[in-house]
Amino acid sequence: MAMAALRREGRRCFSPLNSPNPIAAVRSSLIPASEYDFSLTFSLLLTVFLVVSLSQRRVFVFVSACEQSPLGVRSISTQVVRNRMKSVKNIQKITKAMKMVAASKLRAIQTKTENSRGLWQPFTALLGDTPSVDVKKNVIVTISSDKGLCGGINSTSVKTSKNIHKLASGPDKETKYVIMGEKGKAQLIRDSKKDIELIITELQKNPLNYTQVSALADDILKNVEFDALRLVFNKFQSVVSFIPTMATILSPEVIEKESEVGGKIGDLDAYEIEGGETKSEILQNLAEFQFSCVLFNAVLENACSEQGARMSAMDSSSRNAGDMLDRLTLTYNSLEAVSRAENRITERDEAKIKGVCWDLEPVKQLSPPN
Amino acid sequence: MASNAAMPFWRAAGMTYITYSNICANLVRNCLKEPHKSEALSREKVHFSVSKWTDGKPEKPS
Repeated sequence: MAMAALRREGRRCFSPLNSPNPIAAVRSSLIPASEYDFSLTFSLLLTVFLVVSLSQRRVFVFVSACEQSPLGVRSISTQVVRNRMKSVKNIQKITKAMKMVAASKLRAIQTKTENSRGLWQPFTALLGDTPSVDVKKNVIVTISSDKGLCGGINSTSVKTSKNIHKLASGPDKETKYVIMGEKGKAQLIRDSKKDIELIITELQKNPLNYTQVSALADDILKNVEFDALRLVFNKFQSVVSFIPTMATILSPEVIEKESEVGGKIGDLDAYEIEGGETKSEILQNLAEFQFSCVLFNAVLENACSEQGARMSAMDSSSRNAGDMLDRLTLTYNSLEAVSRAENRITERDEAKIKGVCWDLEPVKQLSPPN
Repeated sequence: MASNAAMPFWRAAGMTYITYSNICANLVRNCLKEPHKSEALSREKVHFSVSKWTDGKPEKPS
């Protein structure tokens, strides 16, 4: 290396060389070898040439200021900012991509959801919705998503389920949870472990369809004893609004009991029953079918809300990343301006101490010759 | 009517109305002509995992 050889010689006549050397030695650990060799040797030669031949102090100062820039030590602090800018930019790219994916998924699932609302509406017209019914065995079906990064929809449905649990529990009552989705599971396991009856996950590996949901409803019916099922889910309203909703499904016995009391279900007697079936048979079939239909709609509504929530969450996070990037760019620019000014001063001071340039002009005049 | 006579039998076999109607729906789907048949069958994939919990512990994952 040219520089090392010169240093070992240590000859006074090359004294101008000594001034960049100590700085360069410190720098060497910070920069890759190839870059170091080239830029340093080059700038050394340039400095020597200019100082010796022209011996103009202005030019000397100007060149040494130039020599600084490719080495990049002055930006020890700007380096940190630059790395941070890079990572923020990458995160912004990811969130933007996630937003696009969520938007396209939402479009597909939204039409499905809106069409599926036609499935439960006739049931509500026939049997009515009875959220206030007071029964012994309540089962809360909490519907949540498997994946995260979708705003607060999972915690809203968990919170609503917990509130319903509190309302429904009493001295001689039993309230259990059936949880759908990883996120709801993670939240409810923490404090309601003993009330969990069934956990269902990986529902959305394939696109949701009725066959799948009805098989699932079948599993719930066979494994869980209930008087009333409370389905808790986020009803899709628009891309930015989801309403935590509870749908109630009564067991056939409870429907029969309620229909004797009167009210909306009491009108059931006005219907004529065809064939040789009894009323309880019909009611049982109806209740089962109602459950699968309402569950289908609930799962779809929740999936739709999930995509909508993810879309808006990713939108706002990419906007935040943009804001952060703007602020970082400002910081970076001012830091660089400061360090550039500082470097000129230290360079000059060092030269002064070494006795190389003893009659430099004040700092404010230290600018390249025009 | 045939369906009325069949009703008690599927109930006696331990099926719910949902299972019964799904079997019926699958039969109808199988009556479709190609290519609609394979399309309809591929749409109806069933996949999920259920684990039953008792006393705060999962019984066995399935």
